[in-house]
This record gives sequence, C-alpha cells and structure tokens, in this order.
Amino acid sequence: MRVLSPQENTRVDILQDGAALYHLDISQEGNRTISIEYQGRTNLIEICDGRIRVAEADCPDQLCVQMGWLQNSGLPVVCLPNRLVIQYAQSPDGLDAIS
Amino acid sequence: MYTNRGSALLAAVLLLCLLTACGNKQAAGRSESLFAMDTYFDLTIYDGQAEAALDAAAHMIRRLEDLWSVTRENSELYTLNHSGGLPVELSSETEDLLARALALAEETRGAFDPTVYPLLTAWGFTTQTYRIPAQEEIDGLLQYTGYSRVQMQGNRVSLPEKVQLDFGGIAKGYTGGQLARMLRREYGVTSALLNLGGNVQAVGSKPDGSRWRIGIRDPRTGGVLGILEAADTAVVTSGGYERHFTGEDGQAYCHIIDPATGYPVKNDVLSVTVVGADGAVCDALSTALFVMGADMAADYWRIHGDFEMILLKDCQTIYITDGLAGAFSLEPGQRQWTVQIISNEA
Repeated sequence: MRVLSPQENTRVDILQDGAALYHLDISQEGNRTISIEYQGRTNLIEICDGRIRVAEADCPDQLCVQMGWLQNSGLPVVCLPNRLVIQYAQSPDGLDAIS
Repeated sequence: MYTNRGSALLAAVLLLCLLTACGNKQAAGRSESLFAMDTYFDLTIYDGQAEAALDAAAHMIRRLEDLWSVTRENSELYTLNHSGGLPVELSSETEDLLARALALAEETRGAFDPTVYPLLTAWGFTTQTYRIPAQEEIDGLLQYTGYSRVQMQGNRVSLPEKVQLDFGGIAKGYTGGQLARMLRREYGVTSALLNLGGNVQAVGSKPDGSRWRIGIRDPRTGGVLGILEAADTAVVTSGGYERHFTGEDGQAYCHIIDPATGYPVKNDVLSVTVVGADGAVCDALSTALFVMGADMAADYWRIHGDFEMILLKDCQTIYITDGLAGAFSLEPGQRQWTVQIISNEA
C-alpha cells in the first residue's frame, strides 16, 4: 500500500514475488551489499551513498543491472527472471503510475 | 454567534476531510503485485470489495496467462502454434482476443501483426540471445508471417505450418480491460489503478475524485518526461528503449519488428503512448503507430480518431493529439522539448 507524497523519498522496499523482504531508508543505510537468492539464482543489491541498484545478477537478460540506480522519478528496478523488485515505498513525485 | 457558527463549520469540514482523506494524502487502497505475462503487475484497488476483487484479479491474470503463454507447452496458444496446419477450436476468450487482434491488424494495414513471432525469435528477442539474421533468413521467415495467413471461422482457427501467433502486443492491454470490467461489475469497484508493466488501466478516478497522475517516460533517461492526468481510461506506451541491443555492426536494434520488412523499426519515433477506452486497442495501436512513424501515425489518428496519443519524436518534438492537450504537462526540467498539438485541421 503506497501513500502519495511529494516530499523526500528515501524509503525503499525490496520485494520478491510480491512479498516484502526489506523496508529500508536508504538515506540512513551505510554502504553495503545485500545478496538475495531466488531458486538458486542471486541478485547482489548495492546501497551506496543513499542510492540503490542491482550491482550483479546471474539472470540471463541483465536488464536489472542495466537499469542502474533506482531513480526518484523513474520505474522500479525489476528483475523479471528472479522476481525481484526494488521500488520506493511512496510513489515518486505524486505519480500513480508510469507508462 | 457568527464566529461560533464559523468554527462549527470549520470543524465539520475538517471532520469531512478526515473521513474522506482529502488533502495531500491518498485514501488507503489494497495492493497486490505479481509477475505475469513476462512483466510486473501492480494492482491497487481503493473501494468496493477490494480484497475479494484482488484475489479474483490475480486469478484472472493467471488463467489468461495459462491460455496465452507462447512458451508453456500446455497453453492454448502453444497448442495452436503446434497444430501442424490442422484446425483448432478455441476457447471463447482466445477467440475474442484473436478476432480483435486480426481486426486491429487489418485496420492498421499490418503495422500491428500478431504473426511476427518467428522474426522476433530470429533476432533473439524471445531468448535474449541477440543476433542479426542474414537477409535470406529474414526473407524466408517473411513467407510465414502476415496476419492474412491466419484462417479463422468462428471459434475454429487454422494456421499454416510454421506460422506462429503471439499476443505479446495485445494481451496485457486486453487483460487490463477485462480486469476493469470485472472489478466494476462484480466487485463494485469505482476507483482502481491497474499497472500491467506500464500498460496502465485506470478504473474511475482517484478516491478523492481527481484524475490519476500518470508519468510518461523519457525514452532517453528512463525518468519522467511529463505527467498525464487521466480517468477511466487505458494508457499504453510502446518504445524502442524497452528491449534493444547493439549489433556487431554498431547499430542499435529495438524489439519492435516492422512486419513489412522483418527488421526492427528504425524511424523518427522514440515512443508512442495511446490513451483510450479499450486497453486492447491501446496496446495494439501503440505498437502499430510506432511502426508507422510520426507523420503516418498522426494521419492514422486523423482518420480514426477514437483514441488519443502522445508521440515522442526525434529532435525533441512531442506530438499530442488535441484531446489530450489540456491533460498533459511537461516536467519542469524537460522544457527543451517542443510540443506540437495534432488536430484535424492540419
């Protein structure tokens, strides 16, 4: 469930197959990596200076890695093969969706 | 007395605000996200029997995915694609979807074509093993593509051997439309936003009655170019940026194949967003208009006119059909784009 707010947006959820694994405030997190497994495959998530991305993945398409850092006014970072989603807990810029 | 009445009124307004969640905060909705049809679905329902509606929606999505998966060996589509030229009887849903896909192919003179799957495979888009096929290979495959090769009579369909259908360019939009109808009719939902991997289906408006704010992607950066305010409509974008690769020749190739040539589209369009009542139409048209190129797309709109579009073109030009002119606004950092309103008088 998301609440719209145009204010600072630093709360990020990491979901696997629709279920929340982590609720993070990336402005408060130290620089670190989180390894997440799905059916024997792994995504390595990197938090660095208040930003978050998929740094490495062993999925075939590498689209999640290519998406780079999660952007405030962009799409969630998604790894379809590993059913992983990194998204802001609040929708960015008061947006309800992005097409 | 007057001030007392004033403060009583103020208190009443405040109370009403609390009850209806006016102001900045959105009323709470029930959400569910799931992976289906090769993408990420995010469904939020704000009223009606939201919980039951979400369950039913997820169920419908899984059922339709089971029918139309092009790779699952037990899907109805897989059976049809491997029928060896023999007629196959379709379920009513697949019959409906295929009939609409063929009608849209006809209407767009093949710019949308549900039979390009063998070409997508040859270019590696179905397996992410990208390659540039030889011209002879493309010429050979063009013998087995083209929607007119599909023979459909009622619910009986036959595909000549080697002809393959896929609903990747229409199924998500169609599903969005079916979901919206079901939520309204069976679960009393009047406010919901269904995001099927960027195929957005809005049911009604936001709980506070205002329109949904839908960001339109900047195809170059992945950020937001502008905001479209919309209610009770489908919003579907096709862009070459979604899946693409750079070939050994150094050229970029996008995942949208021009059915006429068998090559990935390379023209003056960066992305097309189609807005309209019917999700399936929006989905198919967003691909077709992308294939047509900017000026043909504008002409197509002038002739058909039962949808609206936002077309991002090279040289940072945006074509917006006049029905959307008041509903779209550029983000502050994007003023370098030139907006051109497309109207019938041009």
